[in-house]
Amino acid sequence: MTTIVPVETSSGERPGLPVPRRPAPKFRVVAVWGVMLALLAGGVWSFVELEIGISALVTGFENAASFISRMFPLDFPPAAELVALTLETLAIVTVATALAVVLSLPVALFAASNTTRNRWTGGAARTFIVLMRAIPDLVLAIIFFRLFGLGAVPGILAMGLHSIGMIGKLYADAIEELDRGPVEALRAAGASRWQQIWSGIIPPLMPQIIATALHRFDINLRTSVILGYVGVGGIGLAMSEALNTMNYQRGMALALVVLVLCVVVELISGAIRTALLGRVNGRRRGILGLLDRMSDGWVTKPTATHEVQRDGKGRIRTAPPWDADRIRRFLGITVTLLIVAIAVAGSDIDPAALVTGLVDIPQTLAMFFPPSDGDMLDLLLEGMLSTVQIGLAATLVGVVLALPIGSLAARNVAPNAATANVFRTLIVAVRAFPELILAIIFIVMMGLGAVPGALALGIGSVGLLGKLVADSLEETDVRVQDAVRAGGATRLQVYASATLRQVLPAFVAHVLYQLDVNVRAATLLGIVGAGGIGFYLLQANRVMQFDVVTFIILMILTVVLVLEAIAAWVRRVVI
Amino acid sequence: MTNVADIRQAMTSGIPELRPDDVKDAVRMAGVTKRFGQVTALDDVTVDFTPGEINVLLGLSGSGKSTLLRHINGLHQPTEGEVFTLGVPVHSARQKDLRVLRSRVGMIFQHFHLVGSMSVLENVCTGRLGGLRGPRIGLFSYPRAVKERAMEHLARVGLADKAFQRADTLSGGQQQRVAIARALIQEPVVLLADEPVASLDPVSSAGVMELLREISSDLGLTVICSLHQVELAMDFGDRITGLQSGRVVLDRATSRLSREDVFEIYTAVSAPEAVEAGAAKV
Repeated sequence: MTTIVPVETSSGERPGLPVPRRPAPKFRVVAVWGVMLALLAGGVWSFVELEIGISALVTGFENAASFISRMFPLDFPPAAELVALTLETLAIVTVATALAVVLSLPVALFAASNTTRNRWTGGAARTFIVLMRAIPDLVLAIIFFRLFGLGAVPGILAMGLHSIGMIGKLYADAIEELDRGPVEALRAAGASRWQQIWSGIIPPLMPQIIATALHRFDINLRTSVILGYVGVGGIGLAMSEALNTMNYQRGMALALVVLVLCVVVELISGAIRTALLGRVNGRRRGILGLLDRMSDGWVTKPTATHEVQRDGKGRIRTAPPWDADRIRRFLGITVTLLIVAIAVAGSDIDPAALVTGLVDIPQTLAMFFPPSDGDMLDLLLEGMLSTVQIGLAATLVGVVLALPIGSLAARNVAPNAATANVFRTLIVAVRAFPELILAIIFIVMMGLGAVPGALALGIGSVGLLGKLVADSLEETDVRVQDAVRAGGATRLQVYASATLRQVLPAFVAHVLYQLDVNVRAATLLGIVGAGGIGFYLLQANRVMQFDVVTFIILMILTVVLVLEAIAAWVRRVVI
Repeated sequence: MTNVADIRQAMTSGIPELRPDDVKDAVRMAGVTKRFGQVTALDDVTVDFTPGEINVLLGLSGSGKSTLLRHINGLHQPTEGEVFTLGVPVHSARQKDLRVLRSRVGMIFQHFHLVGSMSVLENVCTGRLGGLRGPRIGLFSYPRAVKERAMEHLARVGLADKAFQRADTLSGGQQQRVAIARALIQEPVVLLADEPVASLDPVSSAGVMELLREISSDLGLTVICSLHQVELAMDFGDRITGLQSGRVVLDRATSRLSREDVFEIYTAVSAPEAVEAGAAKV
């Protein structure tokens, strides 16, 4: 009997085989790796510098007991007040998202290369989108409060304009990916530019329009809670008031309400999005299928005739029958319009204040200019550095957590389906948890400072980064893994050599995106006391040093745009 | 001789009065050259298309058929040369006049180019946009008269029963019929067809070609149709114009063509290497 022995793979060189010299790597690739290593070093340094360590965690958990005792019993506001607060929040978020969609569509049409007028309009629209994304909604809210006074308008405008940064970009990309055939056909039939857009672009774009709007609604709901800290009404305002007066029982009760609200909204919008984007043509199953079959009896069903159908008066029938499809479409449009109308009516928009604010724009803006460091440049720079450190440390924590969790959530990496499902669920659960709530819990446990902010963002990163990692792992070419496995590699070897190697470029892009997201979030979390530049922003706003506010905004903008530029460059090189 | 003013007047007066018989020259191209950067897509093309006939543009892919068709309704502008369609100087016309011209020149495409998420009926109605003011979305936004005509045209192509379905639920052959109905609602004087059956199965192809022939003879339409199969071109066309690498290499009536000429046509429109490749495949 023969024993099968693995081939000897010792490093001894075999004579006689000329090995060509390895070509020198391209400069750009080296530069990218340099940047990534620098970022890693920055993450570790921030981690150490912020003194996120075992001791902080231990103290935190020691505090947890007393925190829980301070939290309970939870003190919910009376039901009527709670409902009123919830509705106020939902109204503001609805109007803001609707506004964002209405504004984003024309911007996207100008930004997309196939619908823009010329190179200049395209460039201008793209720049506007990037700028809207770069200015945090919190900053916009501060400016708009100064312009329009208290009420719902500043919050709506802030979220509405900032949302263009995301919605406009997604719409523009979607428009560029559309089949250009129908537009050419309409052009060939003599349709004008606007007719081509309305008939050839908007209808195929509709699922994307709705899905993105719903997605943004989720995000704006979370943001509206943070904006409560600067005065945007609703649950966020009530929560910030409670927490600022150390009323943890009320504050945490409201935080729980926010959490439940976020989860419910996410579930509903997720279900609608899946139904919209994953719809297959032809026969429908489930409730709609049932409706289809039921409606057969009492509505005009299409009869199999090639003749023109006429109604009782002998006129040609040109309206579709009221079948399940038309009922669903009709209800969908009506309900959406109704909700937006109710939200507009209920969100306490004061047209007079809006007009006065618009008239006063030059005067108000004069207060913000020229920018000034308010003789505390050192403090501000330190705050900005601290914010960047929070972002770096949070991303490091996020990567360390999200790599294994995301890998195990990928069906083609996890040892079995059950494991993949467990980790997928974990990721979804983390995603549902607003980072603000996490940060508040950590702050209550560990006291004010950068550490709770970094930890909250780090754990929150698992939700986004874990999902991105899992998704890109599942998109890898399975044949390569099979080939390596056929060579006798172990599971871990397959993962390292075949799977991980394939997704490396995507990983790099995802990590940079997460860093970008975390630095933006870190500026905002400063507002709730999680350290960094956000704290100074809020202070300057409170004492009405608007020239300092402008200075801080410019600092944030610079950092965010630099990060974005780095991320864009790295993506271009690696992908 | 037709001119823009006539067409515009016809379009604005509801149902156009203009009949194809008024047209002396359907399309006249003189010395047309089209370059895309370094690539020359059309090279000094001079050709007239006779009114009321079925003209076939024959050539391999990349020979310039699609580019030539798109010059007729001004989707492409010539680098050099002149194009007159229904008497309108396409090469120098203003956008406004081009729109008026296009509203009377129907066009169908290899991939149908319907809006998949729209109902079949609304897709047909969009053919009429050139004669309507302002953007339209949803069936309700079209005048009743347009919808009724759309229904009649759908019945003509045998798809009245599918009027309220989403266009992407139809088969390829059915979608091309809808596209034909969309072109017919324009009351076209010239119908351009860009490889109308290249992505259809043989049975649907035959149906679509038959429909085109029927429409052409019923309405006296000038059809200009690009194809790449010689047999189909012989069966279908009154006249064949062969293109090779952007140059006209053949221009003859099919009635004077014998089966023996077929091989000659093959050689004329094929680049030498393509013939070898084709022979190797057989």
